Amino acid sequence: MQADIKWLDDPQVFRVGQLPAHSDHYWYRDADEARSKSSSFAQSLDGQWQFKFADRPQHRPVGFYEPNYDTSDFGTIHVPGHIELSNYAQIQYINTLYPWEGKIYRRPAYTMGPDQTGEGMFSEAPDNSVGAYIRHFHLAPGLTNQRVIVQFDGVEEAMYVWLNGHFLGYAEDSFSRSEFDLTDALVDGDNVLAVEVFKRSTASFLEDQDMFRFSGIFRSVRLVGLPTVHIADMHIRPVVNENLDSGELNVTLKLTGDVESKARVHLTVFDKADKLIVDEKRSVAKQISFGHLPFENVMLWTHHNPDLYHLTVTITDEDSNPIEVVPYDIGFRRLELRNQVIYLNGKRLIINGVNRHEWDATTGRTVSMADMKADLQTFAENHINAVRTCHYPDQIPWYYMCDQAGVYMMAENNLETHGTWQKMGAVEPSDNVPGSLPQWREAVLDRARSNYETFKNHPAILFWSLGNESYAGDDIEAMNTYYKTMDSSRLTHYEGVVRNRKYETSISDVESRMYASPAEIRTYLSNQPMKPFLDCEYMHDMGNSLGGLGEYMALLDDFPSYQGGFIWDFIDQALWVTDEVTGRQVLRYGGDFDDRHTDGEFSGDGLMFANRQAKPAMQEVRYYYGQYDN
Amino acid sequence: MANTTTKLHVIFGDGTLGVATDDVHYLFSYEKGGLESIVSHGKEWLYRPIRPIFWRATTDNDRGNHFSEESAMWLGADCFTRCQNIDVQVDGKDLGLPIAPQNNQYSNDETADQVDIMFDFQTATTPATKVTMHYQIVANGMVTLTSHLQGNEALPELPAFGVQLIMPTVATGFEYDGLSGETYPDRMAGGSRGQYYVAGLPVTPYLVPQEMGMHMQTRWLTVTRQRTLNNADVDAQPFSFSVEMADQPFAFSCLPYTAMELEAATHVEELPLARRTVLSIYGAVRGVGGIDSWGADVQPPYRLFADVDRTFTVQIHPGNHVSD
Repeated sequence: MQADIKWLDDPQVFRVGQLPAHSDHYWYRDADEARSKSSSFAQSLDGQWQFKFADRPQHRPVGFYEPNYDTSDFGTIHVPGHIELSNYAQIQYINTLYPWEGKIYRRPAYTMGPDQTGEGMFSEAPDNSVGAYIRHFHLAPGLTNQRVIVQFDGVEEAMYVWLNGHFLGYAEDSFSRSEFDLTDALVDGDNVLAVEVFKRSTASFLEDQDMFRFSGIFRSVRLVGLPTVHIADMHIRPVVNENLDSGELNVTLKLTGDVESKARVHLTVFDKADKLIVDEKRSVAKQISFGHLPFENVMLWTHHNPDLYHLTVTITDEDSNPIEVVPYDIGFRRLELRNQVIYLNGKRLIINGVNRHEWDATTGRTVSMADMKADLQTFAENHINAVRTCHYPDQIPWYYMCDQAGVYMMAENNLETHGTWQKMGAVEPSDNVPGSLPQWREAVLDRARSNYETFKNHPAILFWSLGNESYAGDDIEAMNTYYKTMDSSRLTHYEGVVRNRKYETSISDVESRMYASPAEIRTYLSNQPMKPFLDCEYMHDMGNSLGGLGEYMALLDDFPSYQGGFIWDFIDQALWVTDEVTGRQVLRYGGDFDDRHTDGEFSGDGLMFANRQAKPAMQEVRYYYGQYDN
Repeated sequence: MANTTTKLHVIFGDGTLGVATDDVHYLFSYEKGGLESIVSHGKEWLYRPIRPIFWRATTDNDRGNHFSEESAMWLGADCFTRCQNIDVQVDGKDLGLPIAPQNNQYSNDETADQVDIMFDFQTATTPATKVTMHYQIVANGMVTLTSHLQGNEALPELPAFGVQLIMPTVATGFEYDGLSGETYPDRMAGGSRGQYYVAGLPVTPYLVPQEMGMHMQTRWLTVTRQRTLNNADVDAQPFSFSVEMADQPFAFSCLPYTAMELEAATHVEELPLARRTVLSIYGAVRGVGGIDSWGADVQPPYRLFADVDRTFTVQIHPGNHVSD
């Protein structure tokens, strides 16, 4: 297989050679490793990589992935990180308009006609900068003599991957993990991993989120070894019965490797008091299902008591030596939609939520564990019980942390096509994607699949969100259908259908609005609402704002179908820069990098300043969310 | 405070009216149109005369809903309002403007139990309206300041209505009895009532400098400074100035900047070096809003329509606060 730069132009090519998405579990060699959460099957590739920047595809170092390529003119870059924050490319902030606004005329492929393929739109574009990344590695001892996978947790926006000159594949979807099997291309000793990252592709139309526009390998990269028998995917489905007292557990494992061997699979579940609840053994097979495992007096997972059971799957060889240990903490909760009201564990659900972009004022969307911990601490201090991962999947550890912290999640797909349907405030969807275009459907369905498959086991997720501000058509309807087919334990969410109510019955379990006034919400809820109501975005906290929160909270008293909302948003997006006049560290926003077109300070809408200092308005959130803290 | 059994000393100057107790000396300027000096125990409290204020720096929400464009004439009024008339009353007797030759009749030993001085301002708006600032000084040296705005339905909504004291140097901090944190009429449910000390004059680092630092529902406020601009003053002891509520609590902000300085900056680092204390005392403040930042207005109860008369009263005096 040969890499083809034309894939950048074709919305029908978005993953080549990638492994299918699967659950986000970690695996370990034995119980000790699992306890210390340190897997000898994993080898980090984070750190300094060799790097060569090209301002456009025509200037890129063609063939740089060959092991004998002369890289003497390469510089370096830190992985994970954004190319722009390493000062190779200009920083730009823009909201709804596409970042090439007024510079390059583009219409998404096939929106102006079936013969309009978009060929050359990105592969020959002068604004499509390219990062050529090279990383040499020797396999760590724990990874030798087995299948080896490379995991990219986030690369913006399109990448081609080679190992030792062999082409492995292509990936889009900047915010989902991409994996490639390296095994057949590995050599003893020095291996050369080469990644060619393009700033733009057809994915650019799907990733028009209101944020700084970056490119590069901005999340971690690692190698993982697969033991001789390996759990490739686990589907864990805890069910709470209607009596809220008993339940059952269903687990389906998909195994790879030597599944014909005499190895055994051992499933255990302990409760938080270390009492053994489940103890099941099976022979290995390609697929193993444990069904209807009963649970009595089940500990329910809630915001205030996020009790988790400790599930472990251990694969042992015929001599009972461990081959692989996979722990996963699971939660039992019952989410129901009855008579236009959402209930969690029998209680009406109240969302005291925030929208949270991943943000760090120094490293951009490369956020650290310390950032994530600090954010959860801030949630706890201010009675914030829910988070919408606006508008893309977050780093994987965040989902585990929300499980632990009892934070309800609206897990959103990486999708926003704002600039294709809303222009200067007016709804004008004549070049909307994905719309109902078949050529764009698989790309967005793939995003839905990656989101679902990766995060399906997290009790914290109550809603699958189809994306943000992308209008509505057959393609988003297909995403809704996908989630409904795969998952009966959660609800779907999508706001954009209110812009095209033709799809009202087939998209989104909730009536979701953004920035509706309290009076507008009262009107909806007073007229036989079809669905429960959620504000996926409300209280736009730009600068000195957040006046009138009480009028929204009063809706909770007046309408059972009003379920609360997510404040826009958690943290200002601004960047630390050394002031060119005083030498002081200062926070800068759109337009401060000579970036045009820009939406300036519009990204400063957080309850927190970009340095994670709370804005004065936070005490108002603490007060009102505290009043409705259940 | 001054000994309450003594009388006020009144100095009928040719350009000012002086009113003094043993401890504090007030100077009302006829030319500048206001109270220009408060010296207490040798420390000056005013850098510029107290003036009426109508503007607060544009918030992001104001920009989005075009409030500042609609109400821009209040910015002009905030900068350029003119004093048109002054009236002095001593122990209830109306003296008009007692300048020469009228004041030739007085001596250096004039005393009174009460002095009232009214400054009438004509706002730089179209149409113009009138603001009256009425200072009443009683024998213990306490000043009661009542500010009145004459409503006019032809005028746009106001950002704020208040009075401003600019102090010569930066305060070391301030203490107040009111609500915690930064509060506005539509964002004060989360403010806890209590007595709070704020060190220095913190600037809230909004990405674009804008209205900040408001404290609603305040009963009293004490500002403390340590330095003066008087070259002969070598004393470094802290000294204080207080504002007390009269019939109703008041709102205030205490910042190193005027609304104009905040309005002009696009980043925090563009604000000038902090040199003064800008104490703004408000009888009425517009809410901040929050429904969105591109058009939604502040909800009606928290907007300041111009068609009604507005009056508020506070008491000001050097020293720590006295009422509780």
